[in-house]
Amino acid sequence: MKRYLDSLKRMDWLLFGAMVGLAVGSVFFIYSASYRGPGQTVPDFYRKQMIWFGVGLALYLAVALIDYRLICQWAAVWYAMAIGLLILVLIVGTRIYGARRWLGWGSFNIQPAEIAKLAVLITLSYYLFHRTPQQRRRWSTIGAALGLTLPPLGLIMLEPDLGSALVLIPIGFGLLYVAGVRARYLVVIAVLGAVLGAVGLPLAWKLKEKRTGRKSYQKERLMVFWDPDRDPLGTGWNYNQSLIAVGSGGLKGKGYLQGTQNQLGYLPSTVSRNDFLFAVIAEEKGFVGSACVVGLYAVILFSGLRIAANARDRLGMLLATGIVAMLFFHVFINVGMTIGLMPVTGLPLPLLSYGGSFVLASMTALGLLQNVWIHRRVY
Amino acid sequence: MIISAPFRDSNPRLAVIAVLIGLGLSLLLADLWRVQVVNAEVYGGRDQEQSLRRVRIPAARGEITDRNGVVLANNRPSYDVALNLDQLGPVSKKQDIAAVAEADLTALSRALNLPVPLTDREVRNHYRLRRPLPLPVWKNLSTEVVAAFEERASHLPGVDLIVTPVRQYPFRSRAAHVLGYVGKAYTNDEEDVERFYYYEPDSVGKQGVESSCDEFLRGAPGGYTIRVNPTGRKVGDVGQKAAEVGDRVTLTLDERIQKIVEEALERAPLSAGKQLRGAAVALDPRNGEVLAMASVPSFDPNLFNPGVPPALVNEVLTDPRSPMLNRAIGARYAPGSTFKAVTLLAGLDSGRISPHDPVVCDGAMQIGKWPRPFRCWNTRGHGAVDALSAIKESCDIYFYQKGMATGVDAIDRTALELGLGQATGFDIGRELTGLVPTPAWKQTHKNERWWDGDTAQLAIGQSFLLATPLQMACLAATLGNRGTLWRPFVIKRIETCEGQMVRQTTPQSRNRLRESPQNIEFVRQAMLGAIQSADGTGHAAAVKELAVAGKTGTAEYDVYDKGALQGRIKRAWFIGFAPYDNPQVALAVVIEDADSGGHSAAPVAGAILAGIFQKKAETVTGGPANLD
Repeated sequence: MKRYLDSLKRMDWLLFGAMVGLAVGSVFFIYSASYRGPGQTVPDFYRKQMIWFGVGLALYLAVALIDYRLICQWAAVWYAMAIGLLILVLIVGTRIYGARRWLGWGSFNIQPAEIAKLAVLITLSYYLFHRTPQQRRRWSTIGAALGLTLPPLGLIMLEPDLGSALVLIPIGFGLLYVAGVRARYLVVIAVLGAVLGAVGLPLAWKLKEKRTGRKSYQKERLMVFWDPDRDPLGTGWNYNQSLIAVGSGGLKGKGYLQGTQNQLGYLPSTVSRNDFLFAVIAEEKGFVGSACVVGLYAVILFSGLRIAANARDRLGMLLATGIVAMLFFHVFINVGMTIGLMPVTGLPLPLLSYGGSFVLASMTALGLLQNVWIHRRVY
Repeated sequence: MIISAPFRDSNPRLAVIAVLIGLGLSLLLADLWRVQVVNAEVYGGRDQEQSLRRVRIPAARGEITDRNGVVLANNRPSYDVALNLDQLGPVSKKQDIAAVAEADLTALSRALNLPVPLTDREVRNHYRLRRPLPLPVWKNLSTEVVAAFEERASHLPGVDLIVTPVRQYPFRSRAAHVLGYVGKAYTNDEEDVERFYYYEPDSVGKQGVESSCDEFLRGAPGGYTIRVNPTGRKVGDVGQKAAEVGDRVTLTLDERIQKIVEEALERAPLSAGKQLRGAAVALDPRNGEVLAMASVPSFDPNLFNPGVPPALVNEVLTDPRSPMLNRAIGARYAPGSTFKAVTLLAGLDSGRISPHDPVVCDGAMQIGKWPRPFRCWNTRGHGAVDALSAIKESCDIYFYQKGMATGVDAIDRTALELGLGQATGFDIGRELTGLVPTPAWKQTHKNERWWDGDTAQLAIGQSFLLATPLQMACLAATLGNRGTLWRPFVIKRIETCEGQMVRQTTPQSRNRLRESPQNIEFVRQAMLGAIQSADGTGHAAAVKELAVAGKTGTAEYDVYDKGALQGRIKRAWFIGFAPYDNPQVALAVVIEDADSGGHSAAPVAGAILAGIFQKKAETVTGGPANLD
């Protein structure tokens, strides 16, 4: 027991503080996102989120304290479990808005994609860690890494959940890059991937539209990015309303619980508390608030890189880098989407957005980060 | 146990990743700055545009009063029953609002015993476009219906009694042509329509003072701002600005005199079968103030209020007698023998008429090579007449001869000096200018030279000469006040509803006659004789204990239909002023289709002057119907 307490004392408190700061902000702004004016009962999403943070904290501590090397030894198990759940969700998942993303037992629902992100991260790190520097320079290593990444990626795309699937790509690239894979190989892969995506996605959409006879909403969402007025009352709605919410917040914001875009429902309540929570914060707290949020993420991301640099071994370095890559991708895509810099892809904001699975996944990832820090080299 | 290789140097590739992340976060911050600070106003504007709705509240129109403060136009409350569609309970997207509202409407209809005037389509449109506003169902309800509503229907969901100001003219058709009327302005400024999401149209003046003073009377509209959610449902009030009541317009009219004039005109003696059409104008000759202006037939401006059946409105609008026409300024007639006063003045001034030079009238005379003789109205002839008796008896032969001696140019010059053939500058409505014909005019318009016969006709006020009743009243006023031609006006002053002066009309002299005071006085004296002498053609206008001067006229007018002569109608005229020494009233009366000036118009003038000065008219009975 004392060993664990000693370990806790070695924790990165700055990282922990930034996490707590975002969690507190999350509860407050989920409350605000659900708020519909004085005298009206506020839906209890903010309370549920508090419970998730409670559960998440326990998970965080557990993951932080058990040596990451032990956790990574089970990589094959995590990976197999993730693949199993991804297959299961395609068969028995709950269909919401045309996508099977949720595995549910009563009121308890999980998103296998969130588990898969972490599992792929651990597995890839563990695999690359075991390659010698010479091996890592070979194509075979890249091939094996792709072989590990593509099956879960494909399964997630089938749900479909394009955003979550895409998260695996920066994780993979980040890990391969810091593992020392030749940069030019990575460039070749990136170009190939881009070409494949540019050809494959439209083809896939076309096939799907032919099969279902309906417009692919993924395609619409991407098209709206290029032409926001394409369908202002349909697909373009969230895009435009989120931009109006952020912009109308101005420098200092309209004040807590004063965001009209959100309260009046221009920003639909179904998205304001999760994918578009940043818009609520930006509207009510202005540029000052948004900059604070970006600042807290900067603290987490750079702490993560510091942890990677100070890791005891290459495994810790890889883990930390993968986690940073994953979190950064979420933050960049989500905030970018909120302000019209990125297409609407439905990626939540780590720690802030409402949702149990992602809160737990994020806190597990941050726990792992702490873990690497706690077990860092000490001189 | 994992045996890990020792991990020594820190990886330079981590630094590259750190830089990339730094760039990414900076990009986000920069873009946030662009959206939230640089373009904050753009998005703030779009936010307001989509969630704020401005509703315009029309202002209550200002009052119109006569010179003594008697209210001629004001506002009364109109009670409308309206339905708040938003309060009909939750309506899902799939439900048809018209079907939801129908239950309420049928219940209301039964309680008030009135049929539902709305179509489903109107209900749907209102719900789509003006959802937070009440939908008026029945307008302008009587007190009985309002009582029935309070008793039986006010408990229904979403139902409301709303009060809106409606223009009211308490004296109904009194001075209707001067006051004008109001209607809903459907084509308002586009700027306003853009500024206000829910546009409640103003009442706008359509004629008369209501139209001329519209910008003052209408006041400043107020408005309130509400917040709506994406479905258009009202979620809160943001702000409100009360409408400002319009300015009060005080007229120069005197309601008492107006009433006298209208009643006298209505009672004009006409031979059976003739429809009364005509006008009368009473001026103050000392400054040009219009004391009364009447035109018959008239109309009730209350008719144009909302809630009046369109059939009734249409009936007035399509009436062949044109009751909406203000004949005092909008119709022009040959002035007939009233013009002899002008010819006399021109002749005296040019020296071609000397007052006591006699002319022998035997009822007819030959002019030039005209195949038929020119006749006097009195075919038996007046015998020897001089200037005074020629005016008194209105001898045509005298004026044929003296007119030709005076010449068309001199007559025209005096006519123009007295304000004929040109706009009077009257401050309301669209007045006609009339016509003073010249030889050049005839050549251009009729392609014919000016004959001596034309001058003879002009001298007795026929030929092509045309004047409006208002012009003739101004002419009478100018003779009355011994030579000043005032601009006639009816808008005395405009004040804000708090009594602050906005505009006050100062009398404006248009011309000062250059004819000598002696000559003007002589014409006035001749006109006095025409009324005061028992054998004057205008004696029917005489009033006991009041010195009335004036001149009657009967202008004959051929009526053609498709080129064929249908018959002759006679315009009966009277112009005059009283009291003779220091005139306070100048008058012009015209009746479009009458017997003669002396028989039809003069008694009207007598009744008017008797009424104004509260004296008794010298009732003349049994006079000849064809009196000039």
